[in-house]
Amino acid sequence: MKLELGYIDIKGIRFGDHNAVEDHVLVVNPEELLEPVLADPLIKTAHFEIANPGESIRITPVKDVIEPRVKVEGPGGIFPGVISKVHTVGSGKTHVLRGMAVVTAGPIVGFQEGIIDMTGVGAEYTPFSKLHNLVLVMEAVEGTGQHEYEKAARMAGLTTAVAIGELARDLTPDESVVYETPTIAEGYQEPLSNLPRVGYVMMLQSQGLLHDTYVYGVDAKRTISTLIGATELMDGAIISGNCVSACDKNTTYHHLNNPVIRDLLEAHGKTLNFVGVIITNENVYLADKIRSSDWTAKLAKFLSLDGAIVSQEGFGNPDTDLIMNCTKLENNGVKTVIITDEYAGADGKSQPLADADDLADAVVTAGNANEMIVLPPMERVIGTLNFVNKIAGGHDGSLREDGSIETELQAIMGSTNELGFNRLSAR
Amino acid sequence: MSNYKVVHYINQFFGQIGGEEKADVPAEKRQGLVGPGLAFKQAFGDQAEITATIICGDSWFNENLELATKTVLEMIKEEKPDLFIAGPAFNAGRYGVACATIADAVQTELGIPAITGMYIENPGADMFREKIYIVATGNSAAGMRKAVPVMAKLALKLVKGEPIGSSAEEGFLPNGIRKNFFENKRGSARALDMLTKKLAGKPYVTECPMPSFDRVAPQPAIKDITKANIAIVTSGGIVPKGNPDRIESSSASKYGGYSLEGVDNLTADTHETAHGGYDPVYANQDADRVIPVDVLRQYEKDGKIGKLNDWFYSTVGNGTSVASSKRFATEIAGKLLAQGVDAVIMTST
Amino acid sequence: MLTSSFQILTNNPLVAESFSERFHVKFFDDANDRDVLRNVRDLVHLGYRVLTAPLSGSVKPWETPYRSVMMTSDHGDEVDAFSLDIMERALAVIEKSKDRPWTYTPSVLYDFQVIDLSLIESALPSVEATGRL
Repeated sequence: MKLELGYIDIKGIRFGDHNAVEDHVLVVNPEELLEPVLADPLIKTAHFEIANPGESIRITPVKDVIEPRVKVEGPGGIFPGVISKVHTVGSGKTHVLRGMAVVTAGPIVGFQEGIIDMTGVGAEYTPFSKLHNLVLVMEAVEGTGQHEYEKAARMAGLTTAVAIGELARDLTPDESVVYETPTIAEGYQEPLSNLPRVGYVMMLQSQGLLHDTYVYGVDAKRTISTLIGATELMDGAIISGNCVSACDKNTTYHHLNNPVIRDLLEAHGKTLNFVGVIITNENVYLADKIRSSDWTAKLAKFLSLDGAIVSQEGFGNPDTDLIMNCTKLENNGVKTVIITDEYAGADGKSQPLADADDLADAVVTAGNANEMIVLPPMERVIGTLNFVNKIAGGHDGSLREDGSIETELQAIMGSTNELGFNRLSAR
Repeated sequence: MSNYKVVHYINQFFGQIGGEEKADVPAEKRQGLVGPGLAFKQAFGDQAEITATIICGDSWFNENLELATKTVLEMIKEEKPDLFIAGPAFNAGRYGVACATIADAVQTELGIPAITGMYIENPGADMFREKIYIVATGNSAAGMRKAVPVMAKLALKLVKGEPIGSSAEEGFLPNGIRKNFFENKRGSARALDMLTKKLAGKPYVTECPMPSFDRVAPQPAIKDITKANIAIVTSGGIVPKGNPDRIESSSASKYGGYSLEGVDNLTADTHETAHGGYDPVYANQDADRVIPVDVLRQYEKDGKIGKLNDWFYSTVGNGTSVASSKRFATEIAGKLLAQGVDAVIMTST
Repeated sequence: MLTSSFQILTNNPLVAESFSERFHVKFFDDANDRDVLRNVRDLVHLGYRVLTAPLSGSVKPWETPYRSVMMTSDHGDEVDAFSLDIMERALAVIEKSKDRPWTYTPSVLYDFQVIDLSLIESALPSVEATGRL
């Protein structure tokens, strides 16, 4: 599969009377863009706010972060099976609005988490502080069930991102990069045949409300471990329906910009042969865990992998899936490195993972999500602070009188991302 | 013009008194620096100065733990230092335990910042890594040149009250406290680096060591306990009165095997404990409290068990290294098998 | 007469309400999350097997007051080592987690109940698709 990503750098966002990308600035006509969002009878109110890097702004509670893209050439459209019709994506040409994101905010449940600070110490821990964010703040009609509200908010964010991506269809990219993955047969020809065969095992959160991931529109918990092309993710084949665990959930932005895939593609043909991506779920039902990890190892064997990187999503019972995947891969002779994060307590003294095995001897950690942090007050809050005292890692009195917040790192969006998106680590 | 006064602790070997044959020399204090102190002087520059050096025999320290700690602590106190440094001890076990013991005491009792350095497998490391900063060194004195600058830098940070980073940044042995910091590369790139090394069979360091458990598969159950020969093994230090094998009260280097032939009951006259890690009064009054010989003899008479084995084996688990324990266990298991033992009761304290 | 081959142990009133007519539900009113897990663990020692992850969901153990776990309703003669292992690990995590010093409003409690229900509900298609548990 061969996909060309054309990057259009976005250096600012402003409101105007039309929608366009003009001279690297996204111009938004809120009325027009909100129309499809408000067409959903469950959405009572919706409005946009703009947050730029360095501004004294706190966005919370954040649900999802999405990078606008548009399919310019080749089959299918962005977010296939969800926004576009089901069609295999990942080839042709796609334009990316780089440097910006659509951020959905609004409380779906009363204990929601997810903070993005655009400046100060908190900004160092979230990658989204470096983006120009168009924040879509929503409120549901009174009495809307949590399931329905989550879906409405999810769809509103994706719809908005696709509409914005559409504005870049005819633009000339500032930079173009071609990503190409080989077939199995090509992998056994020179020069790839001399390199170690490496795969990527991507674990997807799949446990119910606020914990779901969709692959081509299919709820991941009803899937069996399978293969997916690296470039398919770049066209939005996987989207997030996950609202809990702000620090270590994979937002749709993460799925589009998966760093393991990027780094493996970068090394492909040089130091390794990047054979393929295995996606596998993290279900509640234990027999599902056993089956899914069995299949992960089996697929890795079918692909004759020498090595694999496994990335996790979430904490707690996904640790069980992680260790099962790792031990079964190792027992099948696949050398494995896992990426995870830790919940070692605020003092850092507790056992970092809920499961462990001696075979998990090569671990990359994205940091201790329990470590405390004090976020300074911001001049402006997008969303609401009502939930700060209830968010994970927050505690009574988390929100201080001066507007500063004492909380654990886990309240910050993407702070301990287990795809290895950040530089944060722990020892 | 030096800022901070430092006292340095070294053993008889680095103090240039002599090797193993001089290991029983008691502690002495000299003004100024001796031996490895010179390397520290270079590393400290004009920020700190070693004003006194304490030299102590490794055997003397370990065999007189309480007295030695008190003596050395007193010598340090007199100097009123700002900082205390011990070693580095590399892989010398008794030297490592001495360095860590005294550094811990200086820190807790005198309230003076203290550090030491040693190889990760030194028994002193396992005993004290969660209490004091122990800089990771090589396993021999060849690692001196690398170890000293790291120790000096960390020591200066401690004495200045500067924030201490994670173990990976500062070079100390992981002390069980997980601390966040920013790496140079993002996680995915680090994972790729690690995998590349793992695939090439090159060494790599995991960022999050798994708690390592020595898992032992359970043996099948005894079919008929009334016919079984049952032995006792303990790390509680029970030995015949007088401790004939001189098993050490801590960091044991040996174990003993003792006959139970004709023994129905252990008493204060016949047995005692060599263990230095718990209050010995109740064990010395009646060693059956640690190894239940009296009850097992009764069971034997009642026909509840086949037999109490003629020999029991004992060592002291107090600070004894995993490597020593493994060696003892292998040897003891061999002897038990030869004696036709079917099952073992292991007691600890 | 309920014939489900599994049972659900829970302290979540919403799970009890939603499932009691269809499945065996052991509802522990006024019990905390740890009590539920300990009860599950105790049944494991009697030969019952655990069917769902005790730490389900990424709602943190120190956040949610609710736990629901699905187990077999019949027990074998032997303790299932996998079930015991996963329960002991879960208990270790949950026992190190700090106590919640705050109380939730009824609406937030309800949200936690909905999430917990959703987590255990997500296992139903799996358990119903499985021939032999």
